Amino acid sequence: MSAGRASWRTALAAALLLAASAPALADAPQARVRAVEPPPAPLPPPEPVFGSPYHGREDGIAWGGHGDLRLGYDRVRGVANPEWFSVERVNGFFEARLHPRILIAAQGAYDRETDDFVFERAELGIRARDSWEVHGGIFLAPLGRTNLEHDAPRQEFGDRSLVATQLIGVPYAEVGAGVRGGARSGAGCPVSYELDVVTGYDDGLVMDSPGGTRLPRGRNNYGDKNAIPALAGRVALHPSARTELGLAAQSGQYNATRVGGVSVDRPRYVHLVVADAGTEVAGFRVWSEAALALIDVPPGLKPLFADRQWGGSVELARTLREPVFRAWKSTSLTAALRADAVDLDRAIPGDSRNRLSASLNLRRLPFAVGRFGWYYEVLRDRFNNGTPSAGLTLTVASYF
Amino acid sequence: MTHLTRLQEDESRRVILGEAVRDVQNARSGRPAARRARAALAICALASLVLLGSGCSNLLTERAAQGDRFDQPLDGLSNGELGQFQRGQTQFRRAFTVVEGLGPIFNNVSCASCHSGDGRGNASNTLVRFSRGTDLDQSEGGPQIQDRAIPGAEPEQLPAGVDVSNRMPPPVFGVGLIEAISDSAILAHADPNDADGDGISGRPNYVTPAAYVPATEPGSGTSPRIGRFGRKAQVPALLQQAVEAFHQDIGITSPYQPAENVNPLASRVVPDLDRAQDPEVGEGEVDDVLQYMRMLAPPSPGEWTTQRRRGETLFSSARCNVCHVPSMPTGPHEIDALAYRDAPLYSDLLLHDMGDGLADNRPDGSADGREWRTAPLWGLRLVREFLNGGMLLLHDGRAHSVDEAIRLHGGEAAAARDAFIAMPAADRAALVDFVESR
Repeated sequence: MSAGRASWRTALAAALLLAASAPALADAPQARVRAVEPPPAPLPPPEPVFGSPYHGREDGIAWGGHGDLRLGYDRVRGVANPEWFSVERVNGFFEARLHPRILIAAQGAYDRETDDFVFERAELGIRARDSWEVHGGIFLAPLGRTNLEHDAPRQEFGDRSLVATQLIGVPYAEVGAGVRGGARSGAGCPVSYELDVVTGYDDGLVMDSPGGTRLPRGRNNYGDKNAIPALAGRVALHPSARTELGLAAQSGQYNATRVGGVSVDRPRYVHLVVADAGTEVAGFRVWSEAALALIDVPPGLKPLFADRQWGGSVELARTLREPVFRAWKSTSLTAALRADAVDLDRAIPGDSRNRLSASLNLRRLPFAVGRFGWYYEVLRDRFNNGTPSAGLTLTVASYF
Repeated sequence: MTHLTRLQEDESRRVILGEAVRDVQNARSGRPAARRARAALAICALASLVLLGSGCSNLLTERAAQGDRFDQPLDGLSNGELGQFQRGQTQFRRAFTVVEGLGPIFNNVSCASCHSGDGRGNASNTLVRFSRGTDLDQSEGGPQIQDRAIPGAEPEQLPAGVDVSNRMPPPVFGVGLIEAISDSAILAHADPNDADGDGISGRPNYVTPAAYVPATEPGSGTSPRIGRFGRKAQVPALLQQAVEAFHQDIGITSPYQPAENVNPLASRVVPDLDRAQDPEVGEGEVDDVLQYMRMLAPPSPGEWTTQRRRGETLFSSARCNVCHVPSMPTGPHEIDALAYRDAPLYSDLLLHDMGDGLADNRPDGSADGREWRTAPLWGLRLVREFLNGGMLLLHDGRAHSVDEAIRLHGGEAAAARDAFIAMPAADRAALVDFVESR
């Protein structure tokens, strides 16, 4: 009897706890923490990226990396793609804190989206005050949360959103220098910011871009082809621990006006605005990112090359089980859904891509994830003819 | 991406909290958590199997039915030929960049960007040909305006006082079969002096192939050959068509045309603007595109219906079939799949006077300004699918339906046009339905 009553009480307490916390079990840990210790809304750290799990650490030096493997059954218009296995990403990083206020960081990655080895960081950061630092070298452009954080094991999907890969060009690292830090708005809301002078996109976005304007083809993190820097910056509000509203922009001249000493064109500019927002609603983690690009295209290339592009992505995720089994400590089962689209030429109905993705993810927190995913995409050419593609994927990503 | 912050929470706290939550769950459900988790996983696995099994065709895209596309290979190709077909398709779809040699002046960036799905083009990629009388006017940038240019180059402008002809990009499929049709089969339909007095006097366009066309290529030679390709049948060899398209349309040099096409009227010429060394493609790449086009199959005609059979009869009774010859036999060809077959193209490949309304007053080869090659009708069934529901017919796309195209016929086709117009509406609909099912 007493055991039954105890069980009943436990159940009632549990129900009350659940009702008081959030609909999702995933919310429970946070709610419990809040009940005990209300969050003081700390200032965002001026560190360039969230700290990645590292393989080793000694005397202020940390190193590590991550990898991402993909098994897929992909079909384009009903025809199977023979490439069923690929290495999506291999990353290695190194950080050395030379002084409590001085950090050297290096990070390189093979990234299949760029089909190249990319230096994502080779950066020196000096913290001038507790709330801000100056930095210089090669670093990830502050163009949206995805570009700042795209470690594969953190992602809910095996591939990045279309706006990230097709419009912004994640991973997009540049040579430059600037400041980043945290502050409080007038209302007391934590704000993080970054303002940099960077190389910017180069003329590859039209000159080395097959079939139309493609900003990712203008990425260049080894130098500035036209010696005219661009300005990049991002401001993000953090109204709560799980909510972030970011707005970023980059603007600069992309072309070289002289070839072999002969003037061939006037200065032309590319402007990119990226907005991102993330929060939790009814137990769902909601995250979205949108970008708008304005490109001053040389008149001889119009209208084949777009002067305006945009894209957006909305992602929903919910933790179904955590831990998945009693014996599997630090595991979670998550379901995620994403809708994303890019219009790579606003002037015509075609030259666009739309995709719907779903993923069921088994995580070993916080190091590894196995994702079973499905996607369906329609790519429209400049005639607006649609080519559907779809696939089932199994991706495994882990820090090491 | 706020969920990421979760990953950085202290693991020990996570474990403690996880256990707390698990206890709550157990209490609420009255079932062991592991059992529920297994059930959830089983449901997911089952859903995956369902997805993999029954729903695959819809959720993983479906293959188009054979004959329902413009970019399918001919039946009966060898494995080696199919391999070349694939390589050629890649080249055909390759969008050239400035770095790879696009320009300095050009019309578009790839073959596929003018031929929608390997079919017809649309108004946005109409080419403008011009001449002064019989002079193709190369000193002023002829025979074609390149209206786009890479930075540093100047796009061409239409000179004043020239004869202008707008040309829609034609379909690409079936050109191998057209190439394989024997001269005798074409000449069998020719009646240059209208000896039979039916008012229709088709004649071949005899043109001299470009000097760079090797003797091994069909349509090659030093003397005039029957032209088969182009709106006025002004090109006798498919290789020449491909090389000229690379050079004129995309600004890509090849070993056959190694010098860049430049705007002769530009205020200045900056060398090496396109950043690529000439020739910008090799013989192999040209050959891949050539063989790809050769091996493209025409789409299958639509299913026969009672109305379409009636339409076919009306098509014949109006004497449309005198020029739009339903089928011609091919002769020998190095690709077996092209040899000794029927080519159901609905064309005699001959020049016909189409009247003042369609005249462009621009000669080409031996074709005068009123003559056009009979347009093949095969593939009309799918045109709308690849032009977003539109149908741009005739050489410049001025007709938006088969009915309108027929009504714009003149000259030698005036009698057939009048017969069509005189038909009851139901008969006209049947004839149009038949034509649109080809």
